Amino acid sequence: MTKGLAIEAKGAEKRYGHIQALKGVDVAVRQGQIFGLIGANGAGKSTFIKLLVGAARADAGSLRVLGLDPQRDRFELREQLGYMPQSPALYDDLTAVENLRFFGEAHRLPDLKAKVEQTLDFVQLSARGDDPVSTLSGGMKQRVSLACALVHQPRLLLLDEPTAGVDLELRAALWRRFKQLAAEGVTILVSTHQMDEAVHCHRLAIISEGLILTTDTPQQLLQRGQATVHVWRGKERQEHKLSDYPIDLPKALQAYGLDKQVARIELETNSLEAIVLDMIRSNSNQEGNR
Amino acid sequence: MGTFFSHIWAVAQRVLRQLKHDRRLIALSLVVPIVVIYVLYIFFESLNNPFVQASDYAFTMGAYFVHFLTFVLTAIVLVRERVTETLTRMMVSGYRKLEIILGYLLAYTTLATAQSLLVLVAITWLFKVDYPYGTLAAIYLIMWLLAVISMALGILVSTFARNEGQVFPFIPLFLLPSIFVSGMIISVEALPEWAQPFSYLTPLYYSTQVIHALADGGGLLDESLALLSLPIYGLAVLVLSSLTLREGD
Repeated sequence: MTKGLAIEAKGAEKRYGHIQALKGVDVAVRQGQIFGLIGANGAGKSTFIKLLVGAARADAGSLRVLGLDPQRDRFELREQLGYMPQSPALYDDLTAVENLRFFGEAHRLPDLKAKVEQTLDFVQLSARGDDPVSTLSGGMKQRVSLACALVHQPRLLLLDEPTAGVDLELRAALWRRFKQLAAEGVTILVSTHQMDEAVHCHRLAIISEGLILTTDTPQQLLQRGQATVHVWRGKERQEHKLSDYPIDLPKALQAYGLDKQVARIELETNSLEAIVLDMIRSNSNQEGNR
Repeated sequence: MGTFFSHIWAVAQRVLRQLKHDRRLIALSLVVPIVVIYVLYIFFESLNNPFVQASDYAFTMGAYFVHFLTFVLTAIVLVRERVTETLTRMMVSGYRKLEIILGYLLAYTTLATAQSLLVLVAITWLFKVDYPYGTLAAIYLIMWLLAVISMALGILVSTFARNEGQVFPFIPLFLLPSIFVSGMIISVEALPEWAQPFSYLTPLYYSTQVIHALADGGGLLDESLALLSLPIYGLAVLVLSSLTLREGD
């Protein structure tokens, strides 16, 4: 295991019957990072997270989570990780407090009552703690689910689409919470198919059809997109396509010497969503041609 | 070891809390066997056949109802845990398979205890059974033991079902044939030779043997082999369930 890494996966493969869910996934997540796993539904995000928590066994490859083997050392590992599944996975007929207490009891926390209160406060649900989960809204259930993953103050959080079906305001609130936790040293791996959330992550891995297409920072990924610069010289407009715009842009502009007549320059870059979609499409085409 | 017991207790407490919230389930679990026993009583009354001794069938039938309901209920509840992913979450939180199974058994035993007691009282009262208290207590013990085994069987079966609906094929596959091969209605010796080995597969066969011996005025230990087979059967199913219980798909 490489020092400083919370998660290290090399060539992880998983097959369900005739479906190859993961085709050799390589991922390295540094401690204290928010790492985003971005991909469409069915790309293999949940399967990968299940391998990390030891809920599924990899058919091939190696996995180390907090320096431990998710299968062999799963009981030791589970003491230190918090897992939020895609569905709320709560007991609807119990209250939020009862749910938290039950999942907290697994860790035999000495001051469980106080931790339950603190965690509910953290997800801003103290007022509804004694209400049955069945009476809470979808967003509130997501927050209770997050609280259940947090109650024992884990070192690593694995969140499977935590903001799916959540309104914009709550999404922003949840991301503020994730950043707060990361600032406290918690490593967070979060899967999502919502591209606008990717910018909140320190690093991203784009997953498609069980393969990691690329791993990079959101800023560097953005730079991979094609940019178009429009230059107006008088009434004449010129267009330059730039593939690596931080380097290509100065080159393109050098030709103008930035004379006084250059009245307006517009830079049009691809959105992160467009860049990722391009990658996924080109991967699908390659897979289709095989 | 402390963790093991505290985890079992935590699971049992959580299941009991859920049961407390689900009053309809408790009511149905207790009322349905009584209603079925009452229907059985009316059936025997209307037969009015001096050669058919109703009490010969009533207790074994009562035991069967408890077996049936406990088996189906436990299997469905466990499958629901898997479908909603709470089972995976429980395990990822640190609960181990055996702790979950024993926690469930502990919690549902309270329901099964009440259910078996109600069935026994209803049969004794409706069918005007005048067995000594010792015999009734022994029959109760067998019913209770059968209920606990049925729970373990339900947990085992839950492994093979991916949703609640897939529990139901086990009714014609396992629960209904049990009526015919357990010796409850037709004696096992009267069954075709090929069918006789199937008797040993159902716990009802062992409970029926002991209950029949008790109903005939015998003691609890008269069918000692059948009596001993019940906890062994239960233990074997328990071990199998803890080996096969899956975290997810």
